[in-house]
Amino acid sequence: MASRLEIFSPEGLRIDGRRWNEVRHFRCAINTHPVSSDGSAIIEQGNTKVICNVIGPVEPTLRSRVVPDRVSISVKVVIAPFSTIDRRKRSQNDSRMQEMCSSIQHVFEDAVIAHLFPRSQIDVNLYVVAQDGGVMQACINATTLALIDAGVPMYDYVCACTAGMLDREVLLDLNRIEESDMPFLTMATIGSKRKVALLQLEMKVQFDRLEPMMAASMSGCHHIRDLMDNEVRKHGKSRLERGSL
Amino acid sequence: MPRDLTPSTIENTFVLKALTERIRLDSRSFNQLRDLDISFSSTEYGVVDVKLGRTRVIARISAEITQPYADRPYDGLFIIATEISPMAAPTFEAGRKSEDELVISRIVEKSIRRSGALDTESLCIISGEKCWAVRADVHFLDHDGGLMDAACIAVSAGLLHFRRPDITIEGVGSRREVIVHPITERVPVPLAVLHVPVCVTFSFFDVRRASSAISGRTRNDEAKDVDDDDVEEEDDSSVAVLVDATLQEELLRHGYMSVTANTNREICQIQKGGDMPVDVGVLLSCSEAAIMVAEKVTKLINKRLKEDGARRNVGNLLVEARAENDR
Repeated sequence: MASRLEIFSPEGLRIDGRRWNEVRHFRCAINTHPVSSDGSAIIEQGNTKVICNVIGPVEPTLRSRVVPDRVSISVKVVIAPFSTIDRRKRSQNDSRMQEMCSSIQHVFEDAVIAHLFPRSQIDVNLYVVAQDGGVMQACINATTLALIDAGVPMYDYVCACTAGMLDREVLLDLNRIEESDMPFLTMATIGSKRKVALLQLEMKVQFDRLEPMMAASMSGCHHIRDLMDNEVRKHGKSRLERGSL
Repeated sequence: MPRDLTPSTIENTFVLKALTERIRLDSRSFNQLRDLDISFSSTEYGVVDVKLGRTRVIARISAEITQPYADRPYDGLFIIATEISPMAAPTFEAGRKSEDELVISRIVEKSIRRSGALDTESLCIISGEKCWAVRADVHFLDHDGGLMDAACIAVSAGLLHFRRPDITIEGVGSRREVIVHPITERVPVPLAVLHVPVCVTFSFFDVRRASSAISGRTRNDEAKDVDDDDVEEEDDSSVAVLVDATLQEELLRHGYMSVTANTNREICQIQKGGDMPVDVGVLLSCSEAAIMVAEKVTKLINKRLKEDGARRNVGNLLVEARAENDR
């Protein structure tokens, strides 16, 4: 057995057998929790699994959350203790988590047509059931689908994808092992254009390497957009056939 | 609870209208930084006062000897404390972390600590037993926008300026002893700073949104506009990109991105929050601009360090007394 994991083999294969530009197995479903929430979705990207519940638009529960000209969105992320190999309870007040919540919130405040629902609120609850890299991207993708299911009007799909840089090789949609080994960025695009809603890079990378990383993650985002669009249309069709619209 | 600062509608339209005519209220050009002033304390090492326009930040670096974490016996400790008190602006509450504060502290943390600006392995004294714990306390004294940029410059400059007391280890095995030589006795040692990260914040203004707001159309028309325009190809001219926004511009902007770069043409951190979607090309050119700013700021830091060194080194005594000199 090799003593060190080979992140990218000379044959051009990654640890889980993908090529550099392949996203992980992507499975999604919408309207998974029709009773508990107005919109719901499950996303699986490789071994990362996120459930999203959307409640709203409803009347604000707190007076402080009333915004006179737009809808207020709040995002909560719960990470299940069993989501990683070592089981431990994570606090909600971790600054990383808070930052993630506020980033997701800002993404959707500009993606949702917010002025249609003045003085109302939308609650987004995300449950990370299993994490294997790319938690942020899975959360954003799940929120998009759940908001669509809830019938909240949006300008376009918000899709997120990661891309990393190993020496000179760009790798798309990293898993946990790859994420810990190289600088990577998370990008969220809106629609199928070159519009970037969110961009996060946490580790040092040469400037020249930035452009290929961004190009790769953008193509990943567009690919994921197509996959999610297929699922939404398939779901819409099946509902139309059942006549339960 | 103190209320957020909310600019009036008149202020909003005025600033935006000026921006559509490519004018900033303080008569800077879009890619111009405010006057940056860096001064070091004359008595203490590692105390930096950074003034970026009317924003003022003081950073103080200190070091003490502690025990390293059990899982990283070879690493020293490096902590950055960025608590914003109501002294900076009335919107900040003591003891309660606001969202802005969270973003600022995370960005400073990522820019400096996670990018490895300070070599923590060099802080190790005896592995698993003793190490230096370097602490950077950032005090925000006045808030006129660009707190994270100023904080990042202050900490970077502070790390370069700071000197820790020299130490020697005596004895062998378990009876090793660490002797700390006070700075009056031996020339203190600089920290191992690997690179100088400089954070630059770019503010995005949607000029098109601004022009429709000025012409007095309702939000619904505006939304329709956005829908229509999404179909056609976007051009970069609809986005105004401002470097180093003042507080007023910060409150009115539609989106922002902060990039941390250094003189090695490396990008240490990018944080573009979810506000206003922007074309990739714009983001890339911002990153490139950040490198230029980083070069300029680093040059200024080095210049000030040199001046400070010359002031301290009266009669060339510090050079003569260095430990690495030939005897």
